[in-house]
Amino acid sequence: MTVFSIGLLYGTATLLVMFAGVPIAFALGAVATLFMIAFMPGGSVDTITQNVYEEMASITLLSIPLFILKGAAIGRSPAGQDLYGALHAWMHRIPGGLGIANVFACALFAAMAGSSPATCSAIGSAGIPEMRKRGYSGGFAAGIIAAGGTLGILLPPSITMILYAVAAEQSLGRLFLAAIGPALLLVGLFAGYAMWRYRQEFQAAKALYARSGVDSELLREDKLSVRDKFALLPRVLPFVVLLTGVMVALYGGYATPSETAGLGAVLALALIAMIYGVWGPRDLEPILTATLRESTMLMFIIGMSLLYSYVMSYLHISQSAAAWIVSLELSRWVLLLAILILVVVLGFFLPPVSIILMTAPIILPPLKAAGFDLVWFGVIMTIVMEMGLIHPPVGLNIFVIKNIAPDIPLGDVMWGTLPFVVLMALSIVILCVFPGIATWLPDVTMGK
Amino acid sequence: MAHGLDQVETAGPTVPLEGTAGPVAQILARVNRLVVIISSVALVLASFVLTYSVIVRYFLKISTDWQDETSVFLIIGAVFMSAAAVQARRGHVAIEAVSVLLSRRANSIRIFLVDIASFAFCTYFAWKSWTLLHEAWVDDYHSGSTWGPPLWVPYSLMTVGMTLLSIQILMQIAAALERRKSIA
Repeated sequence: MTVFSIGLLYGTATLLVMFAGVPIAFALGAVATLFMIAFMPGGSVDTITQNVYEEMASITLLSIPLFILKGAAIGRSPAGQDLYGALHAWMHRIPGGLGIANVFACALFAAMAGSSPATCSAIGSAGIPEMRKRGYSGGFAAGIIAAGGTLGILLPPSITMILYAVAAEQSLGRLFLAAIGPALLLVGLFAGYAMWRYRQEFQAAKALYARSGVDSELLREDKLSVRDKFALLPRVLPFVVLLTGVMVALYGGYATPSETAGLGAVLALALIAMIYGVWGPRDLEPILTATLRESTMLMFIIGMSLLYSYVMSYLHISQSAAAWIVSLELSRWVLLLAILILVVVLGFFLPPVSIILMTAPIILPPLKAAGFDLVWFGVIMTIVMEMGLIHPPVGLNIFVIKNIAPDIPLGDVMWGTLPFVVLMALSIVILCVFPGIATWLPDVTMGK
Repeated sequence: MAHGLDQVETAGPTVPLEGTAGPVAQILARVNRLVVIISSVALVLASFVLTYSVIVRYFLKISTDWQDETSVFLIIGAVFMSAAAVQARRGHVAIEAVSVLLSRRANSIRIFLVDIASFAFCTYFAWKSWTLLHEAWVDDYHSGSTWGPPLWVPYSLMTVGMTLLSIQILMQIAAALERRKSIA
């Protein structure tokens, strides 16, 4: 059998088994095992368990459950609401300040907790009702939170980046740093849009008032005292200082990425114990079981995806596919566009973890051959996956929002998120024109 | 975190604790509860081990050797051992797109076949884990690091975890058959 037919068979079998509804981890493992038995030398299949164990026993990968633990600890405490409250008190005088405060709160919380859905539900459960109370339309409020939440997979410590670092064999430190500039760019774009949209809604409310005398909450001024501004700071600042301090430990060379994860988890547990009194077994149980469930599910997918790509590479499927793409001699931007479209389409069905691990061996060699910086591409790929979190059909964040604000019609939520999808696409164009936004910080900090 | 998969809140356990498979299902449910508690402790312990590693290396200037591997064993053990508890709540994500296209009856047949496929793979993996564990025990395999702990420790956790997972899926298959019998 030629490599082409084996590759075609491998792809078809994977699609069939996955779409039948076999859990992704088992589907990938089963297809890989069957192809090992059928096409690899006798005895190779005896090493599958050792193979999976060795792939999973990487200390970098195993930092993932600890980052999840840190995120769950912060995500399930009232820290998100306090953070949002504090930012609102400080920013309410800026036009559209409430929306901007929500964008900032999402970004900060995403950096601390590292989870998109957790950010949406922590900041959104306080932010959406407040924004609507103040006259923001439901779709606009939902869009801000859904989009702000996606920053969780871009800002360090991002699991998507950890996996990309492993799959692309790139420095995790560089990737984390490279994500900061683009994340700030997105925060800027989101905040700018929030301000513009607020003005539109404000003008409309004003015109309506002038025309028919119908008052709107948008026209009322917020009154928050200096006391309000400082009230929440003692509870919020320790989280911001300590958890950004953990990242300093990483870049100051005091801790490895996995130690950073462990330290972050311990500090997060200590902070929620000290500030919110969450420390008894009954309080910790939901945090720990949620962490365990998510980690197990994710690590199984990761382990089996790695086995899957090992078989794909042993049978020369990935190399041949990559060589074929290179032989097409596409212009670099057409190649990039084609690959990004592939990532978007895969994102309709697969979680980011599988997309990265399964496609990396095929798409990265052509990108490298075309002269793209793979750290830069890691950021671009992550932003595309962020888009997948807020556009149909999967749009996980949309469903989180639907859960915390069930009275906003789904259509409004989707229309509300659409401008943010466009802004993300715009940020990709900006990053293509000015790649330095991503590469400058790692180059300056860690050398070229 | 960062992956768009978190907060998988699935329904409660899918295997009824009565019927012919009842006693086994009950024992398995108890084992799973215990495993989840121990695995949770293992995760927290791994965080403390890594934190300890940073402290002794940077403040006490003592070199670290066992910390990384210990935390790997703790985490990998927690992950494999709790796989059955996650499966009990159908927490291993799958693409469910096709379910909306099928009738209820066709869907239950699909889930039954999916479980059989999952069972076949997990049992095969569990069997291969047992042979690996046996080899590691007989030939006294150690990890290649300077600390060099015996590898039967993590292998045994992987083996027991995959075996529990296989039994869990078998229980779900048995529950489906039981339901069919009671309808007929």
